[in-house]
Amino acid sequence: MTNEKTTALSPIDSPLVASDDVPANSRPAYPPPRHAMSLLALESEQDLSGDVRGWMPVTRYTAAADGMPRLAAVAMLVDALGGLRSITASDPEWAFTADMSIHLLPAGPIEVLQADLHVRRRGRRTLVIEAELLADGERPAGSALLTFAVVPRPEHLVNITIDMTPGRRMMNRNSEHEPLTTDYLDELQLLVTEPGNATIELHPAVCNTVGALHGAVHASLVDEASASLARSLLGCDVVTTDMHLAYLELGRVGPLSATATSVGGPSSDRVSTLVEIRDGNGMLVSYATAEVSGQ
Amino acid sequence: MSGFGSPADIGVAQYLLMTIEEIGDGTAALPHTRGHFPGAPNTFDAGGRLGTDLLTCIIDSIGGMTSGLASLPDWIVTTNLMIRRAPDSLTGSHGTGELTLDTHVLRRGRSSVVTRIDTTDASGAMVATAWMSCAILTPANGPPPFNRPVKPFDRAVPNDPIFDTPPHEFFNLSAGSTPGVVSLTVDQRLRNPWGILHGGASAVVLDAAARSLVVGRPTAEATPEAIVTDLAVHYLSPGRVGPIVASATTTGHRGRDHLVRVEVRDQGSDNRLMALAMTTVRSLD
Repeated sequence: MTNEKTTALSPIDSPLVASDDVPANSRPAYPPPRHAMSLLALESEQDLSGDVRGWMPVTRYTAAADGMPRLAAVAMLVDALGGLRSITASDPEWAFTADMSIHLLPAGPIEVLQADLHVRRRGRRTLVIEAELLADGERPAGSALLTFAVVPRPEHLVNITIDMTPGRRMMNRNSEHEPLTTDYLDELQLLVTEPGNATIELHPAVCNTVGALHGAVHASLVDEASASLARSLLGCDVVTTDMHLAYLELGRVGPLSATATSVGGPSSDRVSTLVEIRDGNGMLVSYATAEVSGQ
Repeated sequence: MSGFGSPADIGVAQYLLMTIEEIGDGTAALPHTRGHFPGAPNTFDAGGRLGTDLLTCIIDSIGGMTSGLASLPDWIVTTNLMIRRAPDSLTGSHGTGELTLDTHVLRRGRSSVVTRIDTTDASGAMVATAWMSCAILTPANGPPPFNRPVKPFDRAVPNDPIFDTPPHEFFNLSAGSTPGVVSLTVDQRLRNPWGILHGGASAVVLDAAARSLVVGRPTAEATPEAIVTDLAVHYLSPGRVGPIVASATTTGHRGRDHLVRVEVRDQGSDNRLMALAMTTVRSLD
């Protein structure tokens, strides 16, 4: 099989892209060097049915205390693959991420996280995709559910192509020469200002194609704001084990700040959080709940 | 989409008897409501706590109504619902008794609404938090009739002993032959104003299936040794005919927390997938 001319594109961005009118030729090259997605060296393969499988290497720079990739990195894998799957599933329309749930199991330490994505519903206005997560291709590592809003295809995305040649390939060519050499969240310049509060400047490496905060980086903020609060409350290493995240608005004004508060009191080894992410103008741009487990 | 009756006549609402009041003068673009759930002995477990099944019902009810108010003159259907219980309210005295549900619409877009629901007990302690997404639709016969701001109203409870029974009886649940399978027989009282299965009823049957799997025995009744602590449910298609069958499978566990996937299907409608959920079920000591 050769490259097919279809209406899909190997995505280099979160599908959290509004159907706005920013012309493609007025945008800077994307992705910029050391982008939040490129750094994770994601790979993907799409079969003729459109179903997608992807992989993410797990290193000490992306691993949590239990040897699993931390939720922030898993969100990027799931978001990128979900975006890829959504393109063919929503054709001839377009889809952008409305919400994302992730549950992780203690399958670590692992070398590679695999995700298999399947469409569970394609309605007129919503698309639901499920991801099965596997550790090193064999052990259950969790799952994810994503909802996409189906919208008219933006003008600048009408004539695009996807490489559906069989085989596994890097999702972003920059990954080949941009290895991650420090903690992933440090590389993103995500800062914890106090327990429960995390903030990030809107620099190009964490943006999507329209200059808003990348959808998966919202999850990074949820992960670290929740984890920092739990570390403070439990006094030990922690792992964010699951998250339910709703995207409300594009975060176009930095810095973006996440504030996590405890849902009730913690148990001996668990903290539940709710997290608000606000942009530089104080507008609520996403809302999430999460669970953090002491190690 | 066509309606058939008044919100006052919804069987699930008559069973739960939550009152709802709109905060403010009813003109806010993003409505704020508050619900009061008094509870009754037949709805609580042995410890005086509401299970996640009925908790989901009342959250779906107030969240759906509030999302609908934000969508007038259109109305909504729930597309997904996420609930997380407070870790310290799963056992002991926290989280028992009557509950208050504070509900805020976070976003009202052209085609969807996102709403947050926080649940507290009588002491003000957080019992659970939730958010839900709804799709905006245009009902053929218009939206349910509401006077704004919405004020609490008394519901006439039918003179039927079924309204005094525990959840597994009211919701017509029956256990399958193996752990993790529970079915629901559709009755008029379990339908919403649009004639389809109430979203809360779907949550009740999937909650029962998930708990049954984790306790390892076929049952549709309360399980003191296990509780659903978080739930992400996606409503994929309406339940119309029944029986509605929930089938749970386990993905793995983290200590006492079991990750369970549940499919809910309408066997009478070509076994169509109605709902898909991921839940965490905690084994209690």
